[in-house]
Amino acid sequence: MKKDDEFLKKMENLNVPEVNPTGHPNRVKMAIMNADRSAALGFWLVAVPCYFLACVFMYYFFNRQVSWFGAMFKLAEGLDKTPGIDFMAPIVLVVLPIVCIIINALAITHVHYEKGISGKPGAKEFIISIKIKTWNILLILISMAIVFTFIAYTMTENISIRS
Amino acid sequence: MKLNWFTRKGIIFWPASVVGWIILVLATAYAVYTFIGINGRSHSVSDVMINFVFNLLLIGLVYSIIGYFTEARREVD
Repeated sequence: MKKDDEFLKKMENLNVPEVNPTGHPNRVKMAIMNADRSAALGFWLVAVPCYFLACVFMYYFFNRQVSWFGAMFKLAEGLDKTPGIDFMAPIVLVVLPIVCIIINALAITHVHYEKGISGKPGAKEFIISIKIKTWNILLILISMAIVFTFIAYTMTENISIRS
Repeated sequence: MKLNWFTRKGIIFWPASVVGWIILVLATAYAVYTFIGINGRSHSVSDVMINFVFNLLLIGLVYSIIGYFTEARREVD
């Protein structure tokens, strides 16, 4: 009996949560791809171009008379001599980082379209949410740096060939 | 069709079936074959290592792509 009374008292004194109907509704935001799996594959996609850039850095560091893009040009020439790798160089060094950007961006992005929010019948909203996942964001930034580096190298190579 | 050939442990796709183990053995054998070929063409140890590590990373990439698409998904209760 005492326990029942105590229970009843507890239930009567419970704080009822205040519901704000105009507040932003909570929803489960599912991205298109799994973040952990995308990060795992993304690591391997950027490993090869990162290794190539590491070799360029070592060549540049030990051969000060050569510029950064000169070092890239020397090593790219060496890659062209290796059988089976010459045609893969642009795929490996540009396409793979772009694929890494795409899969990691899809893993952390959620897009939602809504009509009639906040009681306004004509209002339409396109809501883009980005999850803060450290490894995915880091891989996207590394991939973008690699792509821009190789675009700059290609432009420099074309200019030097023409001149 | 679910192909549960690999399970993911961090960034490594570990074989979870006979087919997965066969793929791993084939990848290892190809890596050894590549090493022997590069060793025969190269003039120094650094030349071998530079070219072999590049090939090894490419083999790891292809292996990971296969593992990514054939990973055993965890069942949620």
